[in-house]
Amino acid sequence: MIDPTEERVIDCDWHYQDSFKEIAEYMPEPWRTKYKRSGWDDAGVKQNVSSFFPTSTGDRQNYGKVVREHSNYPDEPEEPERVREGMDFLDIDDSLQISHLALAMGGVTADDERVQAFTKGYVEYMREEVLDPDDGVYGLAMIPYDDIEASLEILERVEDDEAFVGACFVTAGAPPPLGNRKYDPIYERCEEMDYPVVYHTGGSGLDEYVRAGYQEMIETHTLGFLESNMSQIVSVACQGVPEKYPDLDIVFMESGVTYIPGLVSRLDEEYLKRPEEAPLLDTRPSEYITDFYFGTQPLEVSARNDLLELCFDMVGTDRMLYASDYPHWDFDSPSIINDLPMLDDDDRRAILAGNAEEVFGL
Amino acid sequence: MSGSDSSLVEVGPVEEFEDGEHQLVDVGRAEVGVVKADGEFYALRNQCPHDGGPVCQGPVQKELLGEFTGTGERIEQYYGDESIISCPWHGWSFELETGKHIGDDRIQVPTYEVVVEDGVVYVDGGD
Repeated sequence: MIDPTEERVIDCDWHYQDSFKEIAEYMPEPWRTKYKRSGWDDAGVKQNVSSFFPTSTGDRQNYGKVVREHSNYPDEPEEPERVREGMDFLDIDDSLQISHLALAMGGVTADDERVQAFTKGYVEYMREEVLDPDDGVYGLAMIPYDDIEASLEILERVEDDEAFVGACFVTAGAPPPLGNRKYDPIYERCEEMDYPVVYHTGGSGLDEYVRAGYQEMIETHTLGFLESNMSQIVSVACQGVPEKYPDLDIVFMESGVTYIPGLVSRLDEEYLKRPEEAPLLDTRPSEYITDFYFGTQPLEVSARNDLLELCFDMVGTDRMLYASDYPHWDFDSPSIINDLPMLDDDDRRAILAGNAEEVFGL
Repeated sequence: MSGSDSSLVEVGPVEEFEDGEHQLVDVGRAEVGVVKADGEFYALRNQCPHDGGPVCQGPVQKELLGEFTGTGERIEQYYGDESIISCPWHGWSFELETGKHIGDDRIQVPTYEVVVEDGVVYVDGGD
């Protein structure tokens, strides 16, 4: 045996705990400034899922442009009273809260119970700390749909609780897609409870969304959110969920409205050529899909007026639900709806509140 | 042409039709396909409302149907009683009996009455 203290020893594997904050000082421009303005600080030292580059192209705060409070996914946990502050800021009377963390649950591939544990804990936390139906703060139960039993347990838990008014399915992830018969028991239970199913798009970790290699959020945020919703709309419609559970209210959130006419037109074309492949449908998929409800945000207000008018006409102003997405960076305030020239005041009231009253029983 | 009814257009002897086969005939300015399926004769305009394809020259088969049998169950698929014909260009498919598109019955190929007299198949072109 030798005495290592007297010998040369070479460690061939040492992990230096570097951080982006320090390294950024030495990076070439424009990346040095981009990094410094992105607020990542010491992120990356901990071994989180995406610790190399503590972001994806889906990071809302990339390169530090939107500086409004709450615009990023927060490093600090939310405080319940800030929900009411935000509602006052937007002049909103009632809000339906969903979990922002759970929007990434579609990316969990490990066969453990982290999603189930989180979604169950979320119900209890929200009920105890945040939701206040007397003050217009309601919640949607996040559904860990990959685990049917856990999903049914959550629905059982919230069934008689007036603070919860619906079930939320995150559309990112979800293999198999959400029209699959695997999820039938959840739909059956929601229909029985008169609980709307709110499919909420998602796209955390957007770098590889649809396909890898995009470079900027403008690309992945546009495509990822659309793909998440479109893929589930097609599955839910073609597999006949609206025929299986005709009293189930179906809602899709957060991809604007202009994609809907394009998607249903494309799907109808396919359907007319191959209707046997959607055998539960009695007619074109578009007729089912335009019976779904759609959150309006992020509304494409820069689109041609006649296009927006066509979209509202095809979907129906009785099927649109105002949604802010607050506090995220691309939130819509109620004036987005109120300012639309093609709507009359009854339409505005319906989209801003009336339709939601009906769907969510508020 | 039948001597007893000038609106009948002769297609041919019954024995020249095999099941699933068709013959074309002009009825006025329309080309009409006469199709035999399960021993019955049907006549439809040979022009698909989708893109003008020769719908009557496509395959004839029973309509594939599906049924929801219960929560969590795979959709049960089976061939029904209805005979359909599919346009060979894009697959738009129609009930032979009614000419209605199997996915959207608002779309319809015009149909004609078929008459068999003395072993000869005729299409009734109407007045």
